[in-house]
Amino acid sequence: MTETHCNDRDGKVEEYLQLLQSLARELERAIRAISTNTLPDFEESVSNQQELSRRLAGLASGLNDLENPDRKAPPVTFEDGLMLQIQVASAALQSLNQRYGALIARSNRSVAMMVSLFNSFRGNLQEVSGTKPKLQTWSCQI
Amino acid sequence: MRVNPNLVPDVLAALEQSQSALTAALQQVSTGKRVNVPSDDPAASAAMVKNTIETGDTDQYTQNVSSVLSMVQTADSALSNVVSSLTQAISLGTQGANGSTSSSNQQSIAAQVQGILESVVAQANTSYAGYYLFAGTASTTKPFMADASSASGYTYNGNTDVNFAAIGDDMNVQVNLPGSQVFSNSSTDVLGSLSNLVSALQSGNASAIQTATSSVSAALNYIGQQRVFYGNVESRLNSQQTYLQQETVSLSSQQTILVGIDMAEAATELAQAQTANSAALAAAAKVLPTTLLNYLSPPQ
Amino acid sequence: MGGLNTSLLIGLQALQATQGALNATSNNIANSGTAGYTREVVQFSENAERLSGGIVLGGGVSLDSLQSVRDELLNLQIQQQTSQQSSADTQLASLQQLQTYFSSTGQDIASALTAFSKSLSQLSANPSSGGAQQGVVSSGQNLAYAFNSTANGLQTAQSDADSQVTQTVAQINTVTQQIAQLNAQISQLGGAEKDGGTVQDQRDELVKQLSELTGVSISQGSDGETITTANGSPLVVGSQSFSLQTAKGSDGVQHVLDTSGNDITSSVQGGQLGGAIQLRDQILPGFLSQLNALASQFANAFNAAQALGYDSSGNKGGDFFSVPAVGQDAAAGISVKITDPSLIAISSDGSVGSNGNVANLSAALTTPLASGGSVSDGYASLVYQVGTAASNASTQSSAIGQHLLQLTNQQSSVSGVNIDEETTNLIRFQTAYEAAARIVSTIQQLDSVTINMIS
Repeated sequence: MTETHCNDRDGKVEEYLQLLQSLARELERAIRAISTNTLPDFEESVSNQQELSRRLAGLASGLNDLENPDRKAPPVTFEDGLMLQIQVASAALQSLNQRYGALIARSNRSVAMMVSLFNSFRGNLQEVSGTKPKLQTWSCQI
Repeated sequence: MRVNPNLVPDVLAALEQSQSALTAALQQVSTGKRVNVPSDDPAASAAMVKNTIETGDTDQYTQNVSSVLSMVQTADSALSNVVSSLTQAISLGTQGANGSTSSSNQQSIAAQVQGILESVVAQANTSYAGYYLFAGTASTTKPFMADASSASGYTYNGNTDVNFAAIGDDMNVQVNLPGSQVFSNSSTDVLGSLSNLVSALQSGNASAIQTATSSVSAALNYIGQQRVFYGNVESRLNSQQTYLQQETVSLSSQQTILVGIDMAEAATELAQAQTANSAALAAAAKVLPTTLLNYLSPPQ
Repeated sequence: MGGLNTSLLIGLQALQATQGALNATSNNIANSGTAGYTREVVQFSENAERLSGGIVLGGGVSLDSLQSVRDELLNLQIQQQTSQQSSADTQLASLQQLQTYFSSTGQDIASALTAFSKSLSQLSANPSSGGAQQGVVSSGQNLAYAFNSTANGLQTAQSDADSQVTQTVAQINTVTQQIAQLNAQISQLGGAEKDGGTVQDQRDELVKQLSELTGVSISQGSDGETITTANGSPLVVGSQSFSLQTAKGSDGVQHVLDTSGNDITSSVQGGQLGGAIQLRDQILPGFLSQLNALASQFANAFNAAQALGYDSSGNKGGDFFSVPAVGQDAAAGISVKITDPSLIAISSDGSVGSNGNVANLSAALTTPLASGGSVSDGYASLVYQVGTAASNASTQSSAIGQHLLQLTNQQSSVSGVNIDEETTNLIRFQTAYEAAARIVSTIQQLDSVTINMIS
């Protein structure tokens, strides 16, 4: 029973690690998407991040329950390598998240600035004279 | 391949096109012509050069036919009067040759015939619009003038030339007979025969009067033959007049075909051009100022 | 923990990269109205992935360069078509004005010929009428005036084209100097490979302006762009410009010389310059020489018909029309020699009242002249040619205009900026950022969960 228990637990921990890694990759993908102005990519990444973090939270609470269902059994020692990896991954994720969070905040401010700039657009559209095909004429100062 | 974000050039080009179509339609309706400058239809414009000249010529020929006709009719009616006069002279001559006529009557008959001679000369000197009809081409000179030295008492001052009037392309009609041919021809001298009758009557010689009267009869026949010329000219002029009327209509239709427009059609086209132009303007109004910016900023 | 530092680095690079990208976006929006602006696309390269503790971490991105999106082949096509259209437009403007002389205005040659012909057949019916005789003299004078004014119209068009040659050459020189200056700037930006961005856009726009003025040939050389005229005379080589000159030739018109003094007038093609030269040296002279031939041949034929008859004084008929001795300016110089109607050779035999010669006078209008057709045939042919030239120029200009529209639409697709698209993106970014920000805090909370789990 305990062994199955342990195997269950091991599997879930491994899954946790993989999810952490996936989430980290999604953050990197999001950063890249912002840089290249690829909005659909960014939106998809955000959506993936939502899903991943939801599953991580679910797993974590499940694991805690597994660990001490009744607080009777002594704590089980996990495989050292796996835990170390989780530790590293988690730290990397948090650090990345910090940078990512700063990027979001900063970009958001820039975007908000531009949107409010366009809100204030009151200009006239001026057409270039002549018979040749014309490009749309619009200019503003930033 | 990205979709062209700039709709403006297309819309503006469409607007330009619809505006020039509108201008063209307006011009057609106001001038009634499809072709106003050579570039509208170069071939039609070139053909119109010929049509214009032919139309002008046809108009002039029509006028010519009309004025020559009047001239010829005037000449013919003068000859008709001459026929009446000669007929009267013949009956007077016959009367004079009659044995029962007295010598004093013969004298008075002679005087009457002299009067007839003078009236025939007057006919020979008929003029139309100020020009003498029996003077040959010397139409400003009175053809028959009194001349005591002449046998008939009159000399012909005109010439023997004839004139031709243009009544069609390469169609010229002779319009006159010289007076010398009609009235003082060497073979049949109308004036001469009358003055001979006067002399015969004055002499009282019956056989001379008879001979002279026969000459006047011959002259009557001769005038009849001369009148044939004028009759022929008249009928030729009449048929040419009919032809010219048809030509005028034909040239006018050709002109309409070449450069004219059907007014009803043109009015319809104008209405359509106006509609198309309004649509293009509306489309332009939509495209030009409408960007997301307008939706971002609240309307003023 | 190499991982932490790596992540730090990645974040920083991404931040810097984003700044560059934002610059590009705002530059794009600001310039969407600038003619010829090509959209800038941020070129990113992914840094190499690194391994750290068995976990593969992405390498982040770094900003390489801003590259203008332009299609060189499309630009070239647009330049060529612009040259052709400009040439057609130049000719169209002149021909549209010219063809009013050939339209049915009442003072045109066709109307004058009609009146002259009418006056002669009226004379045939009324040979002794003073009014009819005067009518022939007056309508003859009007015919001469019609020739005069039509010739003047042609000559004016020619001298206008001549002036245009001088003006256009001056404009060309101004533009080539500007292009050379921009080339210098572009080369300072660092060689042929680096894209010059806005400066190159300005330069392309100037080259398009130059194409409107004259047809050009463009090649990329070792020291930058080389622009020559269609026949190869240099205009711009790298940062150096070469001026064209104009000089009056022995034929009385302005010749175009290249910088080495070669006369390139007949090899200039396209643009306003090519159009004006073709008008001045080929099209208009063609019309004028036909008109002159028509005038002198007709005058001679009519005078010959006069000589067949006798005037009202009984003298042999003299000249009715006079034309300049040299056939050159016949149409501009033709006039009626007589003022006294009695000098019209109406009579065929000298007798007054005879109209025998009028038929000969009328025939002069319908019999073929030395060139082939009658005077009205010759004139009708001219009307056709002028009308066709104007109509063709108009059709060509429209057709090229359509093509240019397609090309510039293509160019806009490749290079153009869509304001709506850009601003929609901004709003979507905002929305996405808000969602992302919530996830950032979710992930932060995960930290304590993970720690609890492993301790």
